[in-house]
Amino acid sequence: MFRNFVFKGFFWMAAPLMLLMMTGCSATTRDFSPDDTLHYDESYDFTDKKTIVNDLVSSLVSKPPLVARYDRPVIIVYGVANRTSEHIETSGITDDIRQEIMQSGKARFVNKVQRDNIQSESDYQYGGNVSAETRLQRARQVGAEYMLTGTLRSIKKKQPKQVRLKKKTLQYYSLTLELTDLQTGLIEWTDSAEIVRESSKPFIGW
Amino acid sequence: MDGQRGNRAGIFKTLYRVVAGSQFMGDMTRSVSEMPLIKRWWLLFCLIGAAATGCAAGKLNSARDAFYTSSPEQAATVLSETQTPSGRNELLFYMEKGTILHHSGDYQGSTEVLLKATALMEAQDIISASRQGASLVTTEWLTDYKGEYAERLLVHTYLMMNFLLMGKPESALVEAKQALEIFDKYPDACDNDIFTRALIAHCFEVLGEINGAYIEYKNLAQLMGDPTPVAGKLCELAGRLGFYDDVARYSAYLPPGMAKETVDPCGEIVVFCSQGRAPVKIPHDIVLPPSIRFSFSTYESRHSRFRPPAVGPLAGSAGAAIITTDVEKLLNASLKERLAQILLKETARVAAKEAIAHNIENNDAELLVRAIFFLLEMPDTRCWQTLPAYFSLVRVPVSNKDHPIRLRGIPSAVSLPETCKTPAGGAFYQYFSIRTP
Repeated sequence: MFRNFVFKGFFWMAAPLMLLMMTGCSATTRDFSPDDTLHYDESYDFTDKKTIVNDLVSSLVSKPPLVARYDRPVIIVYGVANRTSEHIETSGITDDIRQEIMQSGKARFVNKVQRDNIQSESDYQYGGNVSAETRLQRARQVGAEYMLTGTLRSIKKKQPKQVRLKKKTLQYYSLTLELTDLQTGLIEWTDSAEIVRESSKPFIGW
Repeated sequence: MDGQRGNRAGIFKTLYRVVAGSQFMGDMTRSVSEMPLIKRWWLLFCLIGAAATGCAAGKLNSARDAFYTSSPEQAATVLSETQTPSGRNELLFYMEKGTILHHSGDYQGSTEVLLKATALMEAQDIISASRQGASLVTTEWLTDYKGEYAERLLVHTYLMMNFLLMGKPESALVEAKQALEIFDKYPDACDNDIFTRALIAHCFEVLGEINGAYIEYKNLAQLMGDPTPVAGKLCELAGRLGFYDDVARYSAYLPPGMAKETVDPCGEIVVFCSQGRAPVKIPHDIVLPPSIRFSFSTYESRHSRFRPPAVGPLAGSAGAAIITTDVEKLLNASLKERLAQILLKETARVAAKEAIAHNIENNDAELLVRAIFFLLEMPDTRCWQTLPAYFSLVRVPVSNKDHPIRLRGIPSAVSLPETCKTPAGGAFYQYFSIRTP
């Protein structure tokens, strides 16, 4: 009698639990706006990229030399060096910076990434298949006046060992950009955007 | 040795008594049906544990065998046909596959696998209460393999080598920084790994981070005791940083005729040499009455002696700098670091099993449970078996002229270029990874 009671009790407790677990396992999707702030952990993510790009571009276009220029000077982007301890694709940062500056109408950019393809297309047009009237003119490319470079750095600090249920990590990111005048070699503008974030992770999980 | 044989004989006698003394099947059916419900659940749990631990990673072992008996390419083929195991042995699978692919020359494939390993290592930072709880009354084999501290470090070492070989020094530096975190976290377990330290310093140096490189070379010199193999680098970097007192200090360690060499090299041939087989874990048992089995594992050597890779002669070169890590020494230090943790868990498991068995009222059932617990008590001998016994970093400075490069003591099968031409100006590094028996 008692054994039956225990068995039934166990069944009625286990069944809803199983149901709950199965519901938790079902696949779901949700859409977010790219402007929303979302972080799952302390590491670098798309929200950080957006923040630092916005901060730096508004600084670049609102300060000399670009603020005083109305002739849209030509810039070449030489990439952002990744000096963090994470594998971060920094070309995403430079793409966004270029896009934001272009949209501000303050500067133009040399397409460095496509140089080989431009050369190849030029060679093709002069290969005899393209009519002389429509073929591009050589030696008409525009030279860059400024060079944009940067460095992404990070410092990670973990909470020292002590009795606790969660471990905390402090993560610092800094992106420094520099605009160099290619003729004089002088750095005409520099600024940095910083992000500091604390996250905690439990020691024990199921 | 005799004591060990005696223990084994005792084990078999006990097991024989368990099987023969209970008129097995019939008695067991009756015993189990008479058990309280909660104890039946325990028994079921133990049997599931026994079944789970019995699954062998057959393909992985075949790949390991192929790696040593035939070729890394053959081993890679075996693994390519295998589905990645999830759970307990996933990390081990990635480690072995990463090494095999590296030595078969598939650096991209190796990198992809080892990056999965690093992601998994990070996820494993959270202790699984269910697995740890289950392992407390069954066996350590039920837990996820997390790798010894040194093995975790060596995952980053292989990634650094892969990225350098693929011409991605920036990514190699990312791995170097992650390796430094492990050095900081487990200094006693990892400080013997001077090969990885040298590789970290090199990653900083390649990207022109001379301050970071200088710090790492200084740490390396301190760990080695004798800074001679890195004296040239220390002099060069100290000079560039304006630390002239350090230039004078480390110049004393420069081999005769090397001072001039460090002034004008425009590049280096860098060779990662892997030699021999790393030790493997072997099981040990201590058996106490009535049925307490205390099990643990130690590393057993699989390699006899180290033969230093010799490089040269290079026209005008004072010789190569060679930095070697003894992997056996490193792994033993790593296991020693976890010794207290292992002993504590083993004691807890023995106590838990004894308490469960002691509380079973039915004698036959108790005997059965004791037998199961006894059989389940197996030491965790999982380890990264395709590691070499020694890692050596060989660095040969080259100048602007053509220089024939030959590695003495390396079989002729190793394909190294006979001539390396350095580009005019700028630092130049050419990397090779070779493996010798």
